[in-house]
Amino acid sequence: MQTRLSGPDLGTVGAFLRGELSHLRAWSEGWQLGRMAFCAGVICVGAGLYGAAMGCWRAPLAALFVAIKFPLIILLTTLGNTLLNAMLAPLLGLNISLRQSFLAILISFTIVSAILGAFSPLIAFMVWNAPPMTPDPAQSAGTYTFIQLSHVVVIAFAGVAGNLRLVQLLRELSGNAAGARRVLLVWLAGNLFLGSQLTWILRPFIGSPGLPVEFLRPTAFQGNFYETVFQGLLRLANADQP
Amino acid sequence: MNTTNPSSPPIPPQIPPSLIVPGPAPLGENPGEREPIRSPIGAVEAILRQPRRLIFQLRQPGSGPLLGGMLFVAVVCSLVYGVVVGTFSMGPQVWAAPVKIAAGLMISALICLPSLYIFTCLSGSQARLAEMCGLLAGLLMLMGILLVGFAPVAWLFSQSTQSAAWMGALHLLFWLISTSFGLRFVHAGFSHSQARSRAGLCTWIILFVLVTLQMTTALRPLVGKADTLLPTEKKFFITHWADCLKAAPPAQPPMP
Repeated sequence: MQTRLSGPDLGTVGAFLRGELSHLRAWSEGWQLGRMAFCAGVICVGAGLYGAAMGCWRAPLAALFVAIKFPLIILLTTLGNTLLNAMLAPLLGLNISLRQSFLAILISFTIVSAILGAFSPLIAFMVWNAPPMTPDPAQSAGTYTFIQLSHVVVIAFAGVAGNLRLVQLLRELSGNAAGARRVLLVWLAGNLFLGSQLTWILRPFIGSPGLPVEFLRPTAFQGNFYETVFQGLLRLANADQP
Repeated sequence: MNTTNPSSPPIPPQIPPSLIVPGPAPLGENPGEREPIRSPIGAVEAILRQPRRLIFQLRQPGSGPLLGGMLFVAVVCSLVYGVVVGTFSMGPQVWAAPVKIAAGLMISALICLPSLYIFTCLSGSQARLAEMCGLLAGLLMLMGILLVGFAPVAWLFSQSTQSAAWMGALHLLFWLISTSFGLRFVHAGFSHSQARSRAGLCTWIILFVLVTLQMTTALRPLVGKADTLLPTEKKFFITHWADCLKAAPPAQPPMP
């Protein structure tokens, strides 16, 4: 089958999703502003729509804020780890350039965002059908958990799909399957590490009815994700003690 | 039951070819490895993509400028990372932390260089002192450039936490990752030195790690603040870490 190597259009997203290697490879072969802008655009639109669907349960303004913050996390994670990812790839046996590593990650996030964007109407529909948030957290606890779990499932699915395409692209670029897997795992760890903290700083996403709708909490830069998880575990362990 | 035929000559059992571990291919076999490295940037590129080329070039006569360039990159990178470390406390730490980190790394290397040479010689290695200097410079350079790669992540965390103990642990994690890659380079270079055993190098690695860890305590504070630029009390690094953990205040539960 002849693969059509098109410019930036909707067909490109389809080719990315299908994992057409010739297409993925061609897109990672040069710094082309138009292509990078297209990927950034898909991330902004796809992740933005998903963010809007996520935030709309709390308030319309929260939907707008999350629509801005969600793509921001993806773009900042890609940029923040560019240098590190480019250094780790050759050290782990994958001889690819900074450009290739950056574009490969950008393409994988483009795929993730496209999937998230496609799921956003479903999430919006689910949220529209959900009982509204109530000031008493106990009343909406069940709905809150259900919505939270739905986000986890959708985001995990998008993440798995994006990473499967990324490992295929890495294998194609390097011809080294073991190296591609190794690099993918290390990149995943790095992106998860930075992404979790960015998510922590840019909270809230779903929001809490008892707190005002804000772009950033006043305590955004106080504490970090891992410290909070650790302290939470300590509190949990101490709660059992008399 | 003894199945040995007493009339047949004693033939030692043959080792199957698949069990013979092949040594590394000789350096310079690939023409690309013979290409000289002309700049510090070239050395950075080579250590990431063609470490064998760098090891080969370090073994050639007149590798002094290359070695100097590598050390220069290591110093610049550790200064850059040090600035990021200093931004946690700001104030005088913005200049003190980079100076201490760069100086600490260089002093640690200087302290460990003689023992590296001795241990490699005891292992039967044919490497010259200059080659060992080159490997050590490679270790410092790789550590430095990887730390610069971690710098954006470290900066983000330093702006969003108040716990010096937590930031110290994070920097330690980044340092450990960078050091492990650097030591892998030293190991790769060492494997071309016809050494009979790796025990000497392994012992030296433990020494190097201990020295650099102790250096972080000897030059404290690197992350937090103190009244004096250098410590007035002498401590072993494990004691210092335990004291830091005890002194760390418990974090308040955050707003969701």
